[in-house]
Amino acid sequence: MLDALDKDLLKVVADLEDIPKGAYNIRKNGKLASRATSANINIETNAENTGIIVTIAPGTINESVHIPVILSEAGLNDVVYNTFIVGSGSDVTIIAGCGIHCGGSAPEGHEGIHEFRVGKGARVKYVEKHYATGPGAGKRTLNPTTKVFLEENAHVEMELTQIGGVDDADRLNEATLGAGSSILIMERVMTDGNQKASSKNEIILAGENSRSNMVSRSVIKGNSRQNFYATMTARAKCVGHIECDAIIMDNGTNETIPALRAEHPDAELSHEASIGKIAGDQLMKLMSLGLTYDEAVNRIIQGFLR
Amino acid sequence: MLELKDLYFSVTEKDGLNDNQKRDIIDGMSFVFETGKFYAITGPNGSGKTTLARLIMGINQVSGGEIHFNGQDITGLTITERAKAGIAYSFQQPARFKGITFRDLLSISTGIDDEAKLISLVRRVGICPLSFLDKAVDATLSGGEIKKIELATTIARNPKLAIYDEPDTGIDLWTIGPMVSLLKKEQMENHTTTIVVSHNKAFLEAADTVLIVNHGKFVYVGNLKDALPILADFSICNYKNCPEGEQDARCFR
Repeated sequence: MLDALDKDLLKVVADLEDIPKGAYNIRKNGKLASRATSANINIETNAENTGIIVTIAPGTINESVHIPVILSEAGLNDVVYNTFIVGSGSDVTIIAGCGIHCGGSAPEGHEGIHEFRVGKGARVKYVEKHYATGPGAGKRTLNPTTKVFLEENAHVEMELTQIGGVDDADRLNEATLGAGSSILIMERVMTDGNQKASSKNEIILAGENSRSNMVSRSVIKGNSRQNFYATMTARAKCVGHIECDAIIMDNGTNETIPALRAEHPDAELSHEASIGKIAGDQLMKLMSLGLTYDEAVNRIIQGFLR
Repeated sequence: MLELKDLYFSVTEKDGLNDNQKRDIIDGMSFVFETGKFYAITGPNGSGKTTLARLIMGINQVSGGEIHFNGQDITGLTITERAKAGIAYSFQQPARFKGITFRDLLSISTGIDDEAKLISLVRRVGICPLSFLDKAVDATLSGGEIKKIELATTIARNPKLAIYDEPDTGIDLWTIGPMVSLLKKEQMENHTTTIVVSHNKAFLEAADTVLIVNHGKFVYVGNLKDALPILADFSICNYKNCPEGEQDARCFR
């Protein structure tokens, strides 16, 4: 069912050499390609038939779920609504990702809406990679949305990466944090050519002693454009930080707007933002260690997006 | 091994009257550095010491004159080409990165990524504890920590010529002695030609030759003993007509 092309895409977006062990759901061209459940992790199609519901039993420790999506059919715009219900006290890794192979001139796209309900004291690591390739001129669009609800003392770490080849991306991340919960969002986006990427983030620190850290790293090459917006709203005693850095290369453009909103007197919110070319002192240091200018640029970008 | 031939570095600046006033930061310097010797370059702030060091590494381009290294004219070479020729440079204010660790810099510096070899290298350099290996070389490092890392990445190059620009800035008093011994050891064992830009007496004492720079020129070349009166002259009060006994703070600068 999966051909060589599919396997290449899976390798890039989900680090999968073959069919994964444990629970997984592979979606290909808008349809279910393959699925497996485990004793603690159930996956079923939702009632509206618009996506899947992944249910992780309370106390599930050290298990993972792979839910990659691959597209290789010209003209297809795949929309999917997935829900993750993570039981209290569990500790799991969820690996999502979308790979597009565009062979024709018709546009291809995927809009994935992922909703997470993370139970008390549960820990989730969510890894999402987006990538597009192929010789076709069709526009490749990826518009992901994540909505995260953290119950008391839950902890979520999100790694959101757009590696390359995506022409248009409009991302929305929303998180609402309960008491004692924490979220770390690490977003890395690299654009080139005439690509556009926009990321909007709405984080609400609703519960007492909740903590959030949003880190965004953008590399903007060619004539591409990236916009980054993040708003952190504090409704209780909490700590929140936004760090957004953009490196501009060639003629890239960028708009970065971090916003902090305190609706509680004990809120501690901070942000740091920077836009600029690669710092000259970094380049000179690496060149003085024997790298050429181009090697130094690559090494700095590689570290920045790590 | 390193020859400076009538070196100039000029900048244009505004001085209130003229928009394009030319100023020579390096004003005709000539000198031959000999293989395996230890040189200390000192002089008042703004005299041109760092600029000279940067010209040798190729970070700034000379306005006039030539630099020869082991018989080759390197005046037109890039930083990379000079590094490959065997020149290494410790920056006065080392770069801070995002997502690059001490281990990464050592690997780039040596081409080695083997764990055992990196550990033995860190041990050889001595001033950085092993726990530094996976430290990010970013804004979280203290001034002293980053200078130690900077020095280690320079020594790791096994350079023929090592230039250290104020290596002791931010370094605790207990580390300066070992740092001087380390540079001396590299000089003795590997015949590294060593140039240290410093105000610190410990480095001046370690040097075979002391060079004093003022207003972009070498004003003294020789041993430390004879340099001391000149250095004392730089450090004393520049206000010549201080009346004796007057408690003028400026006199004690």
